[in-house]
Amino acid sequence: MKIAVLLSAGRHPVSGAAVLPRMEAQAIRLAAGLGEAIGLHAGPDAAAVREALGLGLARIEHVAIPEGGDPVPALIARLAALAPDLVLAGRRGQGGAESGIVPYALADALDLLLIPDVIAVTSGDGAGTLTLDQSLGRGALRRVSLRGPVLATVHPDAPPPLAYAYGRARRGSIDGLGSAPTLTAGPDMAVEERPYRRRPKLVKGAPTGGSAAERLKAATGESGSAAKGRLLVEPDPEEAAREILAYLRQIGVLAASSGASSDASTPTP
Amino acid sequence: MTSFVPLTTVFPGLVWLMAALALLQGLRRAALWRVGAAAPVAWLDGLAKLPKRYLVDVHHVVARDAYASRMHAVVAGGLLAASILTALAILPPLAGFRPYWFVVALAFGVTAIGSLLVGARRYPAKQKRLSAGRFQILPFLLVAYAVGGTITALLLALRIDGLFAPLALALAAAGGLGLAFEVRHGPMRHAAAGALHLVAHPRPGRFEGRPDTALQPLDLDAPRLGSEMPADFTWNRLLSYDACVSCGRCETACPAFAAGQPLNPKKLVQDLVAGLSPAEPAYAGAPYPGGRAAQGERGALARLIGPDARIHPDTLWSCTTCRACVEECPMMIEHVDAVVSLRRHQTLERGALPEKAVGPVTELRQSGDPGGRPLSARTDFAAGIELPVMSERGGAEILLWLGEGAYDLRYGRSLRALIRLLREAQVDFAVLGAEERDTGDLARRLGDEATFQDLARENIATLAQYRFARIVTADPHALHALRNEYPALGGRFTVIHHTAFLLELIRAGKLNPGRLPDLSVTYHDPCYLARYNGETEAPRAVLDAIGVTRSEMTRSGKRAMCCGGGGGAPVSDIPGERRIPDLRMAQAAETGAGIVAVACPSCTAMLEGVTGRQAEIRDIAELLLQAVEAGR
Ligand code: SF4
Ligand code: SF4
Repeated sequence: MKIAVLLSAGRHPVSGAAVLPRMEAQAIRLAAGLGEAIGLHAGPDAAAVREALGLGLARIEHVAIPEGGDPVPALIARLAALAPDLVLAGRRGQGGAESGIVPYALADALDLLLIPDVIAVTSGDGAGTLTLDQSLGRGALRRVSLRGPVLATVHPDAPPPLAYAYGRARRGSIDGLGSAPTLTAGPDMAVEERPYRRRPKLVKGAPTGGSAAERLKAATGESGSAAKGRLLVEPDPEEAAREILAYLRQIGVLAASSGASSDASTPTP
Repeated sequence: MTSFVPLTTVFPGLVWLMAALALLQGLRRAALWRVGAAAPVAWLDGLAKLPKRYLVDVHHVVARDAYASRMHAVVAGGLLAASILTALAILPPLAGFRPYWFVVALAFGVTAIGSLLVGARRYPAKQKRLSAGRFQILPFLLVAYAVGGTITALLLALRIDGLFAPLALALAAAGGLGLAFEVRHGPMRHAAAGALHLVAHPRPGRFEGRPDTALQPLDLDAPRLGSEMPADFTWNRLLSYDACVSCGRCETACPAFAAGQPLNPKKLVQDLVAGLSPAEPAYAGAPYPGGRAAQGERGALARLIGPDARIHPDTLWSCTTCRACVEECPMMIEHVDAVVSLRRHQTLERGALPEKAVGPVTELRQSGDPGGRPLSARTDFAAGIELPVMSERGGAEILLWLGEGAYDLRYGRSLRALIRLLREAQVDFAVLGAEERDTGDLARRLGDEATFQDLARENIATLAQYRFARIVTADPHALHALRNEYPALGGRFTVIHHTAFLLELIRAGKLNPGRLPDLSVTYHDPCYLARYNGETEAPRAVLDAIGVTRSEMTRSGKRAMCCGGGGGAPVSDIPGERRIPDLRMAQAAETGAGIVAVACPSCTAMLEGVTGRQAEIRDIAELLLQAVEAGR
C-alpha cells in the first residue's frame, strides 16, 4: 500500500518552537503500522519537517514554494503523480503557516473521499480495502470500511506519536523535487490573531434573569434537569447498575438500544 | 618412588605449568575483548598505579564486608605468595635450601586457612547474594591446591621421602591446574580481568580521589549511536564486565531490585558477559525479579536488548542511575555507563523509549521543559516575593538555578524558603527566569543524548551572557549536569549546592539560626549529591548548626538508598512489586525521626508521595529558615 503523509511546518503550542504538528506525528505512527509511507511537504524550507524523519518516515519529498505561496497546487500535482492509496493529514493546523483547510482543498481537487477525525487505520479484508475508525467525540467511534484511495485526517485521540529517534532522522532522506510548476498566491485569508480567552460556560437551560440565588439554584441542580436525579440508598447492585445505565443512555454516553456498544457500524460504499 | 631432586623440579614446574595454563585460558578470553571498540588507555600510568588502585581503592570497597576482606587478603595473599615462592624454587640454590621450603609451606598453610574461609561462605549454605555454579567448586580447588602444596613443601623441607609425596603433589596439581583452568570462564577470571581492568579502567579519575561520574559525551556523528551488541562497547568495558566476581554486592544495594522491578545489576553485568560468548556457563545467581529466563542469541554481534533478546527493555528502563551498584562494586565496574550506553542505542537509533517516557522527552526537545510548561511560568512559585532576573540586571554574585522543581507546588515552598534565606543573608543573586531551560538531565539519563546536547548548548550560551561568580542550585541533578557534564560541551561554571552555600552563609555569620532541639531529623542523601558529587557533610553540618536531634538511617551518605526519582525511572514507570520510595521511607521510619530532611526536588516529590507516611518531609532550606526565624 502506498501512503503519503502530508507534513506541515507547525509551532509548539507553548514554546512556539518550529515543530511537526502532533497530529501529523500521530499520522506517521498510523502510516508506519500499515506499510511504506513517504512524507510530502510543500513550503519554503524542508528543514521545518525534518523532524518527521525521526518519527518514523524514511523519506520525505519536498516541493519548494516561495514564502507565502499556496502549497495546494504543488501538492495536487505531486499527489496526482504518486497516486497513493491513502493520504493522511492532521485535522487542524498548529500555529504555523498551515491553515488546516489544505486536506479539504486537496480532496476536492483530486476528487478523493475525505474521512475526517480518524484514530485508527487497518487494511480491510478485501484487496485494496481499508477500515478506518473515526472519532465522533467523547469516546464514541464509527468504523468505516471502504475501497479505493482516500484522504483521512487524524484526530488527537489517535495513538500518541512514536518517540523521536535522532539516528533515524539522520538516516532518512529529504528529496527536493524542485520548485512548484506555477506560483500561485495563497488564498487571501485575512486572519486576526488574538490570545485565547476563556469564556464563562453557559449552563444549559439556566434562567438568564431572576435573582442570583435562583440562578445559583439552577446551576447547582436544585431545580431543572439535574434535580430529576434519584437518590437510592443502599440499592441492590442490579438496580443500581440499571439506574446508571439508564442515566448514561439519557445523557447520550451510551446508545439508546440495549446492549449497543459505543461504535456503530456504517459501511460506506 | 620419587627422589628429592625431581620433586624440587616437578613442584615448581607445576606452578609454571599452572601459569602457562592460566595465561592460555586468559588469552582465549582476551581474544573476545578484541571485538570491542578502541579506547584510549594510559597503559604506563595505569600499570604504575595498579598497586595503589588495588590496595587503596579496591580495598576501601572490599573492607565494607569485614569477613570478605579478611578472607580475600588471606586467600589471595597466600595463593600469590605460595605460588611465586614455589615458582622461584626452579632456581637450584633455592630448591636445595631447606628453610626456604618451610617458608613455602607456611605460605601454602595460610592459603589453606583462607580456602576454608572461602568455603565457609558457601557451605553448608551459600550466602544469598553469592552465585553458585562454578563458584561452588572454588573452595575445593583452593583447599586441594593449598593442602597439597603445604604437604609437598613440608616433605621437601623435612627431606622426607615416600609415597606420600606423589599423592600430595597430585592433590596440589589437581587443585592448581583446576584454578588455572577457571581463568577463562570460572571464578578465577576475576583475578586476571580485574587486575587488567584496574590498569585500563575507563574512568581513571575515580582513583584520583575525585568523583568521576559525568557521563561521557556521545559523538552524534558516529556511524552507530550507543550500544546494541557486545561489539559496540569499547574493549576495556568488555574487559570490565569480565572482572565481575558475582559477589552480589550490587544486587543488595540496588533499589530497583529491592522493589521487585525486573533489574538485578549483577545479572545485568553477567548478561553482558554471557552475551559476548555463547560458551559462557549458565548464570547461577539471583535472577531478575520476575524470573525471566535467559533467552536470545549470544555472540559479539547479537542484539542485547529486546523482548526476545538477552536483556528485556524493562530491565534497562528500571534503573534509576543511582550508582549504588557502582559504589558497592569491589571490581570497580561501571554499571550506569553500561545502562546509559544501551539506552542511547534504544533511544537514538530505534526510538524505543518506554511508552510513558515519550511525552516528557518530546516536550523537553520541543519546549525545553519535560512538562511542556511555559518557561516563563518557572518563576510563578515566587509570586509575591521579589525575584531578581538576570536579563534585567546583567549580572549578580550568585546565579540561582531553579530547575524543574520550580514548577512543582510542593517544591516551590522549599525554593521560597531558600530565597528568603538568601535575602536574609543579603546575597546578591538573580535567576535566569524565562531564559532557563531544563539542563537536559532527564533526556541524558534516558539515552537521548541529542536533546541533552542541544539543551546544554542553549543553556551554556545563555549563561555566557551574564556575569556571575557562582551558580547555586537546590537540585542535585541540575548541579551534576552543570558542574560535571557541561564542561565537556564547553560550559565551565563553579556550581554549588544550596546546602553547601547555606553552610557558608552560616559560617560567615550572615545567617544566625536559632536552635530547634525539639525536632528529630534524619537526612536522606540524594544520589546525585552524595554519590555523584561526594557531598555528604554540608547538609549534616547545617542540621547540626540548627541543633536538631539528628539520627542516621542504616544506609546513609555515599551508601544511601535512592528515593526512586532519578534516571527517568519515574517517567518510565516500570512496574515492580513494591515502590522504591516506600522502601526508603520505611528505612527512615526505623530511625524514629519525625522529619526526613531532603535536599533535592526529586526526593521531595518521591518521598512526599509515600502513602501512610508518618514523618514530615522538609527541605534543609525550610528547616534552616524555621531556625532563623526562631532565632530572631
Ligand atoms: S544504578 Fe541504582 S538502580 Fe541502576 S542498577 Fe545500579 S543500583 Fe540498580
Ligand atoms: S558487578 Fe561488581 S558488585 Fe556486582 S556482582 Fe559483579 S563484582 Fe560484585
